[in-house]
Amino acid sequence: MTPADLPGTLSNYVRGEMDDWLSRYPVDQKQSAVLGALRALQHEDGYLKTEKMDAVATYLDMPPIAVYEVASFYSMFELEPVGKHTLAVCTNLSCMLCGADKIVEHLEHKLGIGLGESTPDGKFFLKKEEECLAACCGAPMMQVNHDYEENLTIEKVDRILEGLD
Amino acid sequence: MPEEQIQLFINDREVHASKGAMLIEVADQHDIRIPRFCYHKKLSVAANCRMCMVEVEKAPKALPACATPVAEGMRVYTHSPAALDAQKSTMEFLLINHPLDCPVCDQGGECELQDTAMGYGEDVSRYTERKRVVADKELGPLVSTDMTRCIHCTRCVRFGSEVAGIRELGATGRGEFMEIGTYVQRSLTSELSGNVIDVCPVGALNAKPSRMRARSWEMLQCAGLSPHDAMGSNIYMHVLRNTVVRVVPRENDELNETWIADRDRFSYEGLHTPDRATQPLVRTARGWESSSWQASLDVLARKIKQFSPEEVGVMAAAHSSLEEQYLLQKLFRCLGIQNIDHRVRQADFTDQEYMPLFPNLGQSIESLEHNNAVFLIGCDIRLEQPMLAHRIRKASARGCQVVALNSRDFDFLFAAQVNWNQAPQAWLQALSEIVKCIPDNELRDLPHELKEIVEQASPSMYARHIFELLSQAGTCSVFLGAMLDSHPQASALRALAAVLARHTHANFGLLPQAGNTAGAWLCGLLPHRLAGGVPNPDAGLDTTAMLAGPCKAFVLFNLEPEFDFANAPSALEAMQEADFVVVFTPYVSESMRSYADVVLPIATFAEMRGTYVNAEGRWQTADKAINPPGQARPAWRILRVLADHLGLEGFTHESSQQVLEEIKVQTGETTGFEGRLHESKMVQTQADPEGIYRVSATPMYAVDNVVRRANSLQQTPYERSPRVAMCEQLARELGVLEEDEVRIVQDGRAKVLKLELDPALPMNCVWVQKSSRQVDELGNAIAPVEIQRLDHD
Amino acid sequence: MMKKIRNLIRSFTLSELLRGMRLTGRRFTSKKLTVRYPEEKTPQSPRFRGLHALRRYPSGEERCIGCKLCEAVCPALAITIDTEEREDGSRRTTRYDIDLFKCVYCGFCEEACPVDAIVETRVFEYSFFERGQQVMNKEMLLEVGAKHEAQIASDREVSVLDR
Repeated sequence: MTPADLPGTLSNYVRGEMDDWLSRYPVDQKQSAVLGALRALQHEDGYLKTEKMDAVATYLDMPPIAVYEVASFYSMFELEPVGKHTLAVCTNLSCMLCGADKIVEHLEHKLGIGLGESTPDGKFFLKKEEECLAACCGAPMMQVNHDYEENLTIEKVDRILEGLD
Repeated sequence: MPEEQIQLFINDREVHASKGAMLIEVADQHDIRIPRFCYHKKLSVAANCRMCMVEVEKAPKALPACATPVAEGMRVYTHSPAALDAQKSTMEFLLINHPLDCPVCDQGGECELQDTAMGYGEDVSRYTERKRVVADKELGPLVSTDMTRCIHCTRCVRFGSEVAGIRELGATGRGEFMEIGTYVQRSLTSELSGNVIDVCPVGALNAKPSRMRARSWEMLQCAGLSPHDAMGSNIYMHVLRNTVVRVVPRENDELNETWIADRDRFSYEGLHTPDRATQPLVRTARGWESSSWQASLDVLARKIKQFSPEEVGVMAAAHSSLEEQYLLQKLFRCLGIQNIDHRVRQADFTDQEYMPLFPNLGQSIESLEHNNAVFLIGCDIRLEQPMLAHRIRKASARGCQVVALNSRDFDFLFAAQVNWNQAPQAWLQALSEIVKCIPDNELRDLPHELKEIVEQASPSMYARHIFELLSQAGTCSVFLGAMLDSHPQASALRALAAVLARHTHANFGLLPQAGNTAGAWLCGLLPHRLAGGVPNPDAGLDTTAMLAGPCKAFVLFNLEPEFDFANAPSALEAMQEADFVVVFTPYVSESMRSYADVVLPIATFAEMRGTYVNAEGRWQTADKAINPPGQARPAWRILRVLADHLGLEGFTHESSQQVLEEIKVQTGETTGFEGRLHESKMVQTQADPEGIYRVSATPMYAVDNVVRRANSLQQTPYERSPRVAMCEQLARELGVLEEDEVRIVQDGRAKVLKLELDPALPMNCVWVQKSSRQVDELGNAIAPVEIQRLDHD
Repeated sequence: MMKKIRNLIRSFTLSELLRGMRLTGRRFTSKKLTVRYPEEKTPQSPRFRGLHALRRYPSGEERCIGCKLCEAVCPALAITIDTEEREDGSRRTTRYDIDLFKCVYCGFCEEACPVDAIVETRVFEYSFFERGQQVMNKEMLLEVGAKHEAQIASDREVSVLDR
């Protein structure tokens, strides 16, 4: 199957990413590239569209359900449309001891949404139950899109939110 | 090479096992019961349920028996305190989230979880937390779901990827949020999907047609056989108050292993329909009247004698039992009638003299999976014979190369190396190209028409590839399927395929289609042969000739002409024009009322004792499971009484066993594959290479009258509305677009169908999709047609 | 000889009759043990096993879920049940017949029922005038249940410790 045979749902970016990952694995183990492909998809659309996952499955010679399994297994992948900016506050042990709960409370109050929800204007998405992100030295912390923000205070959170368009 | 044997001790009992075997297998072989959920002997080991924990000496913790290979001198305890403790703990975990709805669960009474909980579970739960609830999934008309009951053993997931060849179910989410399902809502499409019901150890996946109809303990289990394909799948029919409530596989490793196809499993629905014939009907001047057996058989005997033997045609179904088929041909031959045939879907009878004793697989079903190469000609094996396809899929997983010569890409659910798609009129050419590759061109045995064609052929890349594959494979097979049967040049194709098989030392298999096609050949339900394959000196007419020719009276046995015949419209016409038509049938349809004169209600396969011969020549007899409805009777009994009415000698059988014994005397219990098609001298090579041909296959759920009435099967995605498919280029040439309506003209009959594009179809060939419930109004399945564009105003 | 004379004297003095009459006299004045049925009735245990009934929940939903355990446990094969999936997806009976001629009133059905749907009431006065009337169908059983629900419910409450 060549790329030309696919329904044209995959962008060149995603295909490039997949080809890049494919080149690192044996030819008969194409499914190894699935995580890379899904990351690229999420980066592009903000969440994983089923049709695009199907296209990835075809590209990697996998049954579609196998791609869905991977996508639903990892909490980092979103399967439904979410807000533009993802705010993931770590609530694991170190952060919790340093007051992550207050940060979460503040965010919920300020944005008017609960964990796992997006603001109605589609700007912010508050991720649910984020597990330890390995930044305990800077607790409490949260991940804003791909960046770590550490040593959070309520003021710092407000500043960060203002800085996001 | 004999496998290395080692010695170990299970519960201080000395046992021997082959090296590499898993503990649980060895324990099962020695009847030592270890509880399990995820382990299934026909599936891969997942070791995720942790129920089969056993204590192994010197191991620090209990080990899962399904994933622990045996070792020399190993000491295993399956019921020691440590093992029991591990098993009970696992059980407690499994029961945390399992609902307590056993009284309403269809699995109740035969549930592995229920049974194991009796042995290993506590009667009081230590958990006060809420149980998790999972939304049910809609998996189509055959499988019902109660996903809250699921214990995530993943047997169904593994069944899909390892046995059915299509992974439709998967485990999405993780931890507490793990769910088994399809993620996007869709029906299961596997033709073996019903088996997930059996592999499911709990009540999460159950049979939808029998949902909440019966409990497991109140049904009688009756061993039976499935007559819908030539596998002879062994089944159990579960009967409640004279109604078949469900069907499950009966394990037979030589045939269907632990599986059956959905067609075998759900066809029982067709047994209990409102249109069952329950009493003899006779057409009188006042219209249809119910009659007694005496009176109706008298009418039949009186009327049939008014016709000369040449004017009577007898046509019978290939899925009828051997006893019925034998007595039918014996009775009518006693009346001098020789126009007897069962080949209602065949188009070319030229080589009938040279056919083997009965069409057969040429090898045992079990040995199918040891093939290194398989060449399928005119065969969509998955839809024709799902369980044979499963064996080839197993071979394919071992590295068997499958090549196919067809008209379109069929989704076999195993990797086909080459799908050589040719229009049917070009099959002859394609096969001669392959035959041309035979090096020393030893074509002496071929009839001269074929010799010429072969000599003129120049092998294409495909042809050379297929030939090389077959000649280098060692163990390989050539199989001819149902589409080849209905091909107008079938005789020539058979002859070439036989030559190819002989020269590549391939096994040559003519796949018999119905459950007893082989039996029909054996017992002489043919115009040109008597029972046991003895040539009939006074050969009668074949089906096509009977329909076209001089027959004024017909005897239809277990057939519906509008669905069962290759040429449905002309069959229906012939019936309507005939002076006298007798129908032996389990069902009375509206169209039957329009052409028949006498309708005699007969029993179906579940309602009588009957013998069936499968594709490998295996004779199997099954007893009846239920009583026929009303006055319907097993047909062999009706035929025997009819013989008395006709004053015929030699019909003194008291039981179907006596009929079977008489057949065995005449045929011998033939199981061998001798008398292959070797040297056919007469072939049909005429074709119109220029025109457009249509190709069709009988839909999977339209093969016989019972399956066609199985409601749930008719709702699966396999049942499609009639359509015509062609490649883009042909559509462009004809000036039609996808979704357009086009008129197809065949033999002067026209039909308007919606167009679908299929890039895998070759030029000059259209695929006409048939439906199980609509008459194919055009005619033969493979025939020249004309396609016309519908001009809208 | 003496024995014969003594017997003769006894029979002439009617002493046996008088002895019998003495018992009658005693009973005549003592407290009565019999009841004047049907005006009076003997007391019944809350676990009395009489005519069967099918119960409903207070919401009006029938309790029976068609598990057929009563049918399986019935030693007299008096119960016949057909089940089907109702439109809302729940398991329900389409037929629930009890043949009262076959029934031996053992109460096993009541004990087997996981939802207390089939019960035996205190009703014991019923009769049939035609063949076939002895088969109670689902409607009849539900009707009995509706009529005696208060009694049935209080009886179950009292006897819950015995079960």
